Amino acid sequence: MTTNEPDIGSLETEMNRGFLHILVLALLEKDMYGYSMVKHIETLGYKVEENTLYPLLRRLEKNGWIASKWDLTEDRPRKFYSITAAGRTLRANLLDVWKTQNRVLEKTTKETSHV
Amino acid sequence: MSDKLEAYLEEISHFLSGRAEREEILSEIRSHILEKAAEETGASGDDAVEKAIAAFGPARKVAERYVDDRPIIAPAYKRYLFRYTTMLFAFHAALTVMAVVFKEDFVIFPLLFMPKLGVIEALMYLPTAFLADLGIVTGILYFITQSGKDVRLPWPKFAVDLDEVKPPTKSFWLSRFATAVGAVIMLAITDFALYVFARHRTIFFANFDWDNLRPLFMPGPGRRISLIVIAMFAASTMALLIKLFTRSRWVDVASSVVSLGLIGLLLTQPFNDLFAVRIAENLLPKIRYAVEFLLLFIALMTTIELVKSIVIISRRKLARAR
Repeated sequence: MTTNEPDIGSLETEMNRGFLHILVLALLEKDMYGYSMVKHIETLGYKVEENTLYPLLRRLEKNGWIASKWDLTEDRPRKFYSITAAGRTLRANLLDVWKTQNRVLEKTTKETSHV
Repeated sequence: MSDKLEAYLEEISHFLSGRAEREEILSEIRSHILEKAAEETGASGDDAVEKAIAAFGPARKVAERYVDDRPIIAPAYKRYLFRYTTMLFAFHAALTVMAVVFKEDFVIFPLLFMPKLGVIEALMYLPTAFLADLGIVTGILYFITQSGKDVRLPWPKFAVDLDEVKPPTKSFWLSRFATAVGAVIMLAITDFALYVFARHRTIFFANFDWDNLRPLFMPGPGRRISLIVIAMFAASTMALLIKLFTRSRWVDVASSVVSLGLIGLLLTQPFNDLFAVRIAENLLPKIRYAVEFLLLFIALMTTIELVKSIVIISRRKLARAR
């Protein structure tokens, strides 16, 4: 591949990493299990790779930002996740960062569109 | 429970070996796949499970997502892997040459013991020494990386940066022209050596009188040594001719390997009763050491060139994979 060709694939993966953190923390205001999260995200017009979501949930739980518990009452065991107080603080901080970045990008694209 | 699902989980488990939370991870994946198979196909048969597994991805890729991103050697220290290995190997190689030339044991207690070596033993020892040096440096850099500390590693400014892969500075046609000139010169030398060999059964002479040439070596060894040297000329010519059409580093690798083999053959030739002309007795051991030293030096340079070519090929492959 030459340097002139944009490699959207790997850049998109990098951008998704931060975005998915915010999205999952936002979704988990209500208790959800992995598969239901994948389906819900699809209804929002976005797609998350299943094998990316579970390791992300594990990392968030390890850091104490979400908590989990197995529900064994149904036919199939399901692991439900919920956001913690530390997770809510992190989500608020990440949303601030994202809003700032968004504002800067919007301003920049407006400025350059007038050039 | 589907056998395919259990086989898939077993494969993921294999790649996650040593992780405390392995069972929990496998339970999560099992739950997800069974849920997906039932929800999306309305059944939990083998076909549905197989589709859910395919969507989840290959076992190794899945397991890798759970592995921490911390590299074996931190990017900042990667350059030191080849820098330090090269320095250590150069030191090792110098000691090897000394062990051969001086026929002495060398001990740097408790780090190194170099017994006196014969020429062939030395040639067999050098690749092992290189791998050991690479292993030692890798181990040290691994522990520095895992410690997470910002260690500033020393590197002398005057040292040659062997790990730097610089793009060719010469223009395409200029480098092709230089290769073509080299190929023509080497072809002429090879042809001339073959012509001389066909006439005299040797290419080494004790005088320069064309009408009355006196062979330097005895007929048997002279013929063998001449053929090995002609083969070295021919290999160089061939490499240059191939390089007219391709700049592949594999040509350099092949050329270095052939050269090392031929140098090894030269070093195995017996020295006793080699000369057909009279040489003072006290000079013979000195000539022998000088020739062995020269050949080992050429072998060392060729080995360094070979390692460099392999490193450059590996780096290009890694860069392409990224």
